[in-house]
Amino acid sequence: MIRLEISRIPWVQTLLRNRWPQFLVRAVTFSGVIFTILAGLMGPLVGSYNFAVIFVWIAWWTALKLFFIPFGGRSWCSICPIPMSGEWLQRGGLITRAGKGWGMGKRWPRFFRGNWLQAWGFIIIGLFSAVTLTSARLTAFVLLFVVLLALVLSLIFERRSFCNYLCPIGGFIGLYAQTAPLELRVKDPAVCAEHTEKSCYINCPWGVYPLTLKTNTDCGLCMECLRVCSKDNIAVNLRPFGEDLKSKNQFRLDEVFLGLVMLSSVLIDSAIFLGSWGDLKSAAFAVGSIPWWIFVAAFLLVSLGILPGLYIFAVWIGVRLSGERSSLKQALSNQGQALIPLGLMAWIAFTVSFAFVKFSYVLPVLSDPLGLGWNLFGSAHLAWVGESTPFTAFIQVIILLVGLFWSFLSVWRASESSQPIKQAIPMIGFCFLFTLSMLWLLIG
Amino acid sequence: MESLTPLTSVKPEFQPFKRWQGFVVALVVALLIVFLPFPFLSPAPSARIFRIEASNFEFSPSEIYVNPGDRVTLELISTDVVHGLSLDNYGISLSAEPGQPAKVTFVANQPGIFRFRCSVTCGNLHPFILGKFQVGQNTLLWRAIAGSILIIGFGFWSFRK
Amino acid sequence: MKTEILARIILFIFIFAGITIPVAGRVFFATPSSTTIELHARIPENGGWSMDHIQASVGEPIHLRLISDDVVHGFAIGKSDQPALEIIPGKIVDTTLVFDKPGTYTYYCTHWCSPNHWRMRGTIEVIGRGQNLDPEPLPLYLQLGIDIDASHPALITPDSSPSAGRGAQLAGSLPLYATELNTYQTSSPAQLWLRLRKESKLSKLKDEEIWDLVAFICQNRTSSETLSQASRLYAANCAACHGENGKGDGVVVRGLPEMDTQSMVHNRVHPPDFTNSKNLLGASPALLEGKMIRGGMGTGMPYWGPIFTEEQMDGLISYLYNFVWQFTTGNNSSHNSVTSYPSK
Repeated sequence: MIRLEISRIPWVQTLLRNRWPQFLVRAVTFSGVIFTILAGLMGPLVGSYNFAVIFVWIAWWTALKLFFIPFGGRSWCSICPIPMSGEWLQRGGLITRAGKGWGMGKRWPRFFRGNWLQAWGFIIIGLFSAVTLTSARLTAFVLLFVVLLALVLSLIFERRSFCNYLCPIGGFIGLYAQTAPLELRVKDPAVCAEHTEKSCYINCPWGVYPLTLKTNTDCGLCMECLRVCSKDNIAVNLRPFGEDLKSKNQFRLDEVFLGLVMLSSVLIDSAIFLGSWGDLKSAAFAVGSIPWWIFVAAFLLVSLGILPGLYIFAVWIGVRLSGERSSLKQALSNQGQALIPLGLMAWIAFTVSFAFVKFSYVLPVLSDPLGLGWNLFGSAHLAWVGESTPFTAFIQVIILLVGLFWSFLSVWRASESSQPIKQAIPMIGFCFLFTLSMLWLLIG
Repeated sequence: MESLTPLTSVKPEFQPFKRWQGFVVALVVALLIVFLPFPFLSPAPSARIFRIEASNFEFSPSEIYVNPGDRVTLELISTDVVHGLSLDNYGISLSAEPGQPAKVTFVANQPGIFRFRCSVTCGNLHPFILGKFQVGQNTLLWRAIAGSILIIGFGFWSFRK
Repeated sequence: MKTEILARIILFIFIFAGITIPVAGRVFFATPSSTTIELHARIPENGGWSMDHIQASVGEPIHLRLISDDVVHGFAIGKSDQPALEIIPGKIVDTTLVFDKPGTYTYYCTHWCSPNHWRMRGTIEVIGRGQNLDPEPLPLYLQLGIDIDASHPALITPDSSPSAGRGAQLAGSLPLYATELNTYQTSSPAQLWLRLRKESKLSKLKDEEIWDLVAFICQNRTSSETLSQASRLYAANCAACHGENGKGDGVVVRGLPEMDTQSMVHNRVHPPDFTNSKNLLGASPALLEGKMIRGGMGTGMPYWGPIFTEEQMDGLISYLYNFVWQFTTGNNSSHNSVTSYPSK
């Protein structure tokens, strides 16, 4: 277990323990989301020149996929403005420890726990993505809806139930955070065993008991536990990539489902937004029309039928080939870990194609966020037509190949039978097929 | 009912560096995949003319294939609003509207596959109006596929006892 | 407690900025001056111009801020030689108009933005003291009572492409009326041919040579400068439906039913093929001018009365005839314009 405890470094300690730096960033993102919603509602109708469209779907999305998740795991969640108003109200203060606040604090219903709602939410986003991504007004309404929904849910349910069980973004951030090189863990479990106060659990907005943290999935890196632990027993560590996949033995079916939904979504989004099939784009855009319903059917067929079907088939063949009567359900759950690095790298490669080319829109929209003819930073007229270069194509290949190799390791790790190679072959075939599809969609 | 795995079976560990010979072979193959020039012959260059119709939201045809060295003429015809065509890597930019097509002629001397995009804001899905312009073989794709096979082969090789 | 209060103040400041910048920006700083009219351009299916009527006074500057909400549009005033303004999505165009004569002016979109692009027009009503706009003379087709909706096939057509150059050499023997403006304007080329054919002085000439004379008479009415201006006007306004080579095969009219001269039940039909001599050669310039001015005819043809000046229409008419004169030799000047557009 290679770990570098960075929370021991003095300036890092101050940064994490002091509530002010985090609060200031949160104030910026919170007012930022308000500004973004208003810019979306009041700004230009032309999507590529509207602050809301560019900043949500290009700038923030890129930052999430290329920096926050691969390097920081759930780091975005600690500064995310969407549930912030609810959390402040629950806590009864902006910069205090959890105290008496507002909210009924109900427990999230057992039936709706897990990643299921988040996976379905991501599918729904995907069905309307062609319209949402290009319409400023719709983007603003979606943002507003999500902010209000998170607020209302925070007043009904305990802690960050929205983030844990409903937010589609939170779903895949949590899933992929397991590969990140940053983690928050307890230093010495023995100290916790003797400590009865459990102030860490009481103050955790995510409802996590740090001692039981084995993966990054549920921890939002808000540092509350680190601040209130009277034994200074909580650490933030740097570690190699993909550590949680190595140590985790049990994967749940809902995680596997979410992993599969993420895979089918990246394939379909690559086809719609990066492909040359105009009929597909028009069908995805014309919500409510017959071509759109056909698109919906195809989307659902891929996400709920083809990809899960291929996965189940691959796992089943593997189990059969291994010659053992191990439980299929067990194998389905465990082999799901390969979907995590596969999906993460596929989304990163997609983002390189999608966002790098469109990054040229960010500068003009910074200078004139509301389409009023401003030129705050002198970049209002700097727009140029972005293009893919041989370099970007090359790094996408590298990214996808890394994903293939990484998922290979995961398949291997999950193949627990007496004939692991035979068990692994079909699933590796699945990963190989997926990688070929992504290669063809992105650089073919 | 769980099946018991015999305690005596040991899963071969992933040890890529234990046998350095294999690793070196993999490295050499990887370099070959990246740098080996493609051994095929391309036909003699000729003059090609393409009429590309742009509409909301597609180019038609959206996939164009030429041989390296071809003298290519692209004519952009717009069928509804002002559209543009910008070809990656070749620095070509056209714009056209109904009744006023535009033309450009150039030599396709850089092989590979390139996207061409609409370069004049023409509606909601404007940033996603795309076409593919392929000159010769898509060597990067072939190399990437070879790379994928190498990775899987290397992986399996590393697991041998 | 103090930190909490400080935190709340800071958050309030941030939120206040987040709200007031967009709202105040929209309310107070949207336009350069309080009298600026913000004119939005959208494709006609989504509303066209956000305002289709503007009131103004003579000599009063009208400040306009032109914004496109979807595609590339343009702005120009009909019958004015002010260059058109491009309205590109994402770029705001500020302009000031001043009218020194009262009257009704038409502004219109100058870039194809929809099949109904030509309907994207508005009027500026300028009132006040000053000499009114010169009253428009009644167009010739109304003066003469020409029925521009009736069909007008050419009674005779040439077998080969006439040459105005050859006609110029024979022009010496033309009767006086042949070169008068009135004759040109009121006769169709076919009618002119029939009249010349009957002339005893020209009886020795072959049929094609009479056509050469007709071509010469028509082309003599125009200069290369007028023709090149006409070609630009045609490319920008007409080619989308009538085709760059006049064949009636423009992109906008694809799929439309053919023109049925018996009954005009369709709203929009395919334009005629100008290169077919039966069509144009049976139309006099007065007839063509009437069609251009009034449009309609149950075909979807726009009306250009408020947009083109008489000189522009004369030039266009000559340009149209050229489609026929050149039809067999195929030396139509196609438009190879590589227009350098401002990207995005």
